[in-house]
This record gives sequence, structure tokens and C-alpha cells, in this order.
Amino acid sequence: MLRKVRVAVSSAVIMAMASTLGATAQTPDTITIGYTGPLSGGAAAYGLDVQHGLQMAVDELNAAGGVKVGGKKTTFKLVSLDDQYRPPNAVANAKQLSQQNNAVIVFCPHSGGILAMQAMNEKSSPKFLIGAYSSEPAILKQDNHLTVMTPPSYDAYFKPFIGIEMKRFGKKLGLLATTSAYGKAWADGFRKAWEAAGGTVTGDYGVDYNTTTDFSGAVTKALNDKPDVMLVGGPSQPTGLVIKSARNQGYKGGFAMMDQAKFEQVEDVAPIAQLEGTVGIIPFKDFGPGVGQFIPRYNAKFGTSRQANAEVGLNYETMHVFAAAIALANSTDPAAIMAKVERAAKSLPGTYRIADINGLSKTGHLLIRSVAAVVNKGKFEPVPVPFTE
Amino acid sequence: MHLFFQELLNGLVVGSLYALVALGLALVYGTMQIPNFAHGHLYMLGAYVAFFGVTVAHVGYWPAMLLAIVVLALVGVVLERLVFRPLRNAPEVNTIIAAVGVLFFLQTLAQVWFGGDYRVFPTPYDKVVHFAGLVATQQQLIVIAAAAVLMVALFWFLKRTLTGATIEAVAQNRAGAALVGIDPNRVSMMVFAISAGLAAAAATLIASISLISPSMGFTVILKAFAIIVLGGMGSVPGAIIGAYILAFAESFGGTYISSNYQDAIAFGVLVLILTFKPTGLFAKGT
Repeated sequence: MLRKVRVAVSSAVIMAMASTLGATAQTPDTITIGYTGPLSGGAAAYGLDVQHGLQMAVDELNAAGGVKVGGKKTTFKLVSLDDQYRPPNAVANAKQLSQQNNAVIVFCPHSGGILAMQAMNEKSSPKFLIGAYSSEPAILKQDNHLTVMTPPSYDAYFKPFIGIEMKRFGKKLGLLATTSAYGKAWADGFRKAWEAAGGTVTGDYGVDYNTTTDFSGAVTKALNDKPDVMLVGGPSQPTGLVIKSARNQGYKGGFAMMDQAKFEQVEDVAPIAQLEGTVGIIPFKDFGPGVGQFIPRYNAKFGTSRQANAEVGLNYETMHVFAAAIALANSTDPAAIMAKVERAAKSLPGTYRIADINGLSKTGHLLIRSVAAVVNKGKFEPVPVPFTE
Repeated sequence: MHLFFQELLNGLVVGSLYALVALGLALVYGTMQIPNFAHGHLYMLGAYVAFFGVTVAHVGYWPAMLLAIVVLALVGVVLERLVFRPLRNAPEVNTIIAAVGVLFFLQTLAQVWFGGDYRVFPTPYDKVVHFAGLVATQQQLIVIAAAAVLMVALFWFLKRTLTGATIEAVAQNRAGAALVGIDPNRVSMMVFAISAGLAAAAATLIASISLISPSMGFTVILKAFAIIVLGGMGSVPGAIIGAYILAFAESFGGTYISSNYQDAIAFGVLVLILTFKPTGLFAKGT
């Protein structure tokens, strides 16, 4: 018995040593990029968009011969695991990706998973970088030195959104956002900013966008208090249903739309006439300089049945930034890569520039060109959004 | 007062929606004591069939609904024959696990075949109707009317036709029904066909005011189960009354208390009713 244990322990030690040696002394032939996101369940479409963006960047990099690390050409491999949007699953996946697949970077597209991963990515062995795709400002406040967050944090939208809506429609705000943790945090922040700007709030009528079949009831209640502006948002298409229902019931005011909802998909449900006076993030086609070339490339690869969107584009660009940082660092050590992200972002070729990432803040936030848009007489008018760390 | 009547109308729409889904569930449970957890996913499948009927085959709204009903009735028959009939004499938990298995099978299938995106069902009845200061879309009014028609038709079928009577007979006593010459297996297949067909009709009606996605079944199935528990397991009138009670509790609870707590209030009412009537409102005598 004892002998067996000894053999087991010693072989485990040898294996552990071998894997450490492999990670530090040698350059692998392929660098694994990990991804944990919702690939099944209600948010699967979202998770797949993110995956497509990463996959597209990885394939392009490999087609161009990969990057040079330690004097050797190295290609990339994307390994995806499903977490069904659950933080505990995301952490388990991240561990597996980092320890078994030797992933240097693990991407995750939801704040719950990212925040949970931030509790372990700097302490675990091996350490790994987090590619954070979420606009949750709390991610930047964790003092985590191995996290790179891509989208603008959502509090950056408060001021420009309020400026436009309050001026055009009035000072009374109704809150009709989704009741997910993300939606609630968004609505809370927006409410405070609205009140700080001298507005009043008629009430909170939020419902769960994922489980509500007919929004008429919540909308009727909200309209009964006669708001001038309503905060809406959640998944895009249900957001469209809320807007449509409000217009059908005679609402003439404005909508401030959370960044989770995207105009191009909201339009599938609510026609542009019903979106008059709505402020939200700008449609993907107007995002940045590289989008015009990107969309045909995306369609050639994934077909035209799915539209390219912000999820695809921003993760694509972030992956290119990471690859350039790996090449500049000439290493797969997470801290060494992190140190080169800033320079990599600045020197990224134009074809990869979807939202014009142009640097990295001290808190690990990519400096991204962030633009909102308001619907004015049936047209999208750009609204500049200041960068917040 | 305007608010009250508008919410009454909204509650009526949601109640009709719930009733349509709960009916099929109650029918299967009432006849065979099978808790068909996959019912919500049959509903989802029905929505996709009708969706492709309208958008790909361009057959029009009502023919698409008919198509969905026929296809789903066949799926129901296959399900009964392949999954539930072999488990008739197995412990009840096996049936439950099988139903959950079917649920995941259908959801994954839909995910792979149709993708995870929300789809928008085009409806020709999108116009807004105003009357006495109240607002509804044509489609919402159709949901209310169609639910009433389907409920009456099902009732008439069960109570006034010979075939319907065989279902009632099997529900009351399977062995006894067999003794008087009714084929219980045929009845079981028929019940599954009707139940799945009803789910398809419900899905076509509801999808046009909501959205289609592979997980749409999950949102309705929980509520539908709550409804048939509330109504008395397997009671068809109970399912109808239960559906409207849940919908009005949601609608008025959301209005006069807080919409954030809409679901909590609705299920609070459910718990309260079950405290006083533990077997549900219309429990069947044993």
C-alpha cells in the first residue's frame, strides 16, 4: 500500500516538474487561447458570437504563419468550453484551460465569470491572463494585474445619454430595464447619475427580459406614471419588444438603451420609426475604420445568416492585440505579455482595427474608441462618449 | 381606473397564453399521470415549425399554424410510442427522468438546427386597436379569442364525443376501460397527439407577440406546472382557472405592489392557495 502511494506521489511530482519545465524553459509549438462562455442555453447566441470573433482572429494569425516566440514560429489554437453563463462553471473551465490545456489567456464574456476568475488567476499555478469582455466597471477595481478589459465600462454612457435625453424629452425617468444582476447595477448607476443631473425618477418597473413573454403589463404600469424618458435594455430583441409595446400604448418620450442591447438587432423587432429619440451604442457598421473590410471577411467565413456585431468585432480585435503583445514580449509569460499590450494596441495594423483600440489604462482597460448614437428623424447620429477608467 | 382595466386586459392576454400551454400538460397528466417536462419544448418546436412555414414555405399564418399542429401531433405520437409507453410499468421516477431527457434532447437539437438566436415571428396582425381608452394589438386579441375557442373545443371533444369519452374512461380507470373494449394504447397516443398539437397552436399564437428561441420552452414550462398543481393535477378546468389566477396575480401584483417582484407575488399566491387547498382547486377524487 505504502509503496503504491510512494509511486503515485513521486510520479505526480515528476509530472508536475515536467509541466513546469515545459511552460517556462521551452516555447510551445502552439499557444492555446482559452475561452469560457455560454455555448448552450439562453445566451448561446451571444457566446457563439464571441467565439466566432476569437476564432476568426486565430485563423487569420495562423494563416499568416503565426507569431515568432523565442526565435520559433508559433501558431495559435482556440479551446472553447461551455459555462452556460455560470460563474462557478467559468472558474472550473478556466482552471482546466490553464492547467490542462496550458492556456495563456482565458477569454470570458460575462462579468460574473470574470470577477470570479479574477480571484484566482494571479495566484493559481500557472498564472493566466483574463480577456474580459464585459462593461462592468467593478472588473477594473479589483487591482488585478493580469486582466485586460475590452468594452467601455457602462458608466461612461451615463453622462452623454442623460445629456441628450433630458434636454430633448424632460426630467422624469422611468426604469424598465431587465432585472439581471447586470441590468440592476446599470439601472442603479443610471438612476443616481440622472438624479445628480437634476432629474427625478418616477419608479422602477423592471422585469426579467429573459422570462417575460408579454411586456404589456410592465409597460402599462410605467406609462401610468408619465415618464419623459425610459431606461430600457437587456438582450436586444426583448428590448425591441419593450420599445414596441410602449409605442403601441402611445408613449411619445425617449429611450436610453443599455449597452447590452444593439440597435441593429433591436430593429428586427421595433422599426426605426419607433426608435425615434432612442440613445444607445452605435450600430456595428459605424464602429470604426476596419469594420468596412471586416464584415465581408466575416461573411465569407461564417456565412450571411448571422450578422457580424460588436461581440464578434471587439473580441476579434482584442485577440489580435494579444497576439501582437505575445510577439513583442517574445514570451508566453502572462506578466511579460501584459507589459506589451499597450504597445501592441498602438501598433495594430488598420485592417484589425474594429473599434480602434489604442492603448491600455493602468487599470487594465483597453483604450477604445467608444461611440454612441441617437436616432434623430430616422437617422443614427453619432454621440461621443468620453473614456473612463 | 383606466390602469386597472388596461392591466385586466393585459392579464387576460397572459392568462390565455398560460392556459393554452397548461391545457396540454393537464391532459397528459390527467390521463396517464405522466409529468411531461418536455411539453414546453414541444411548444418550442411547434413555434419553429410555424416560423419556417411562414418565412421559408410562405404558406401564410393560419396554414402555418395548421402545419405546426400536424407535425407536432406526429411528434407527440412518436414520443409516446418510443419513450413513454415502454416505461408504463416502470417506477414513476423513470418516466420523470425520461421526460427531462426528452427536454434536453429537443433543446440541443433546436440549438444545433436553428441556432441560439432570438427569431422574430412575422405576424399579419400587428396593428394597434383602441377601444374605450384601452390599447391592444390585434394579435393579443387573437390570443384571447383563440384560447377561448380551443378551450371550448377541447371541452366539447372530451365531454360530447365518443372518442373524447374513451379518453375520460382511460383517465378514470385504465384496466376498466380496456375491459369494455377501449384500446388504452391508442388512447395514450391520441392524448399525446392532442397535447402536442395544442402546444403547437399555443406556440404559433404566442410567438407572434413574443420571440422564438431554443430556450423559450423553459420559461413557460415552470409556470405551466405551477398552474396544473394549482388547478389540481390533471384537471382541465383547473388548468384554465389556474392559468388566469397566476396571470392576474402577476399582472396586478406587478402593478399595485412592484413589477420587480412580479414572479415572487404570483408564486406567493400559489403557495397561499395550496396551504388551504393542498391538492389544488379542482383535485380529482381518488
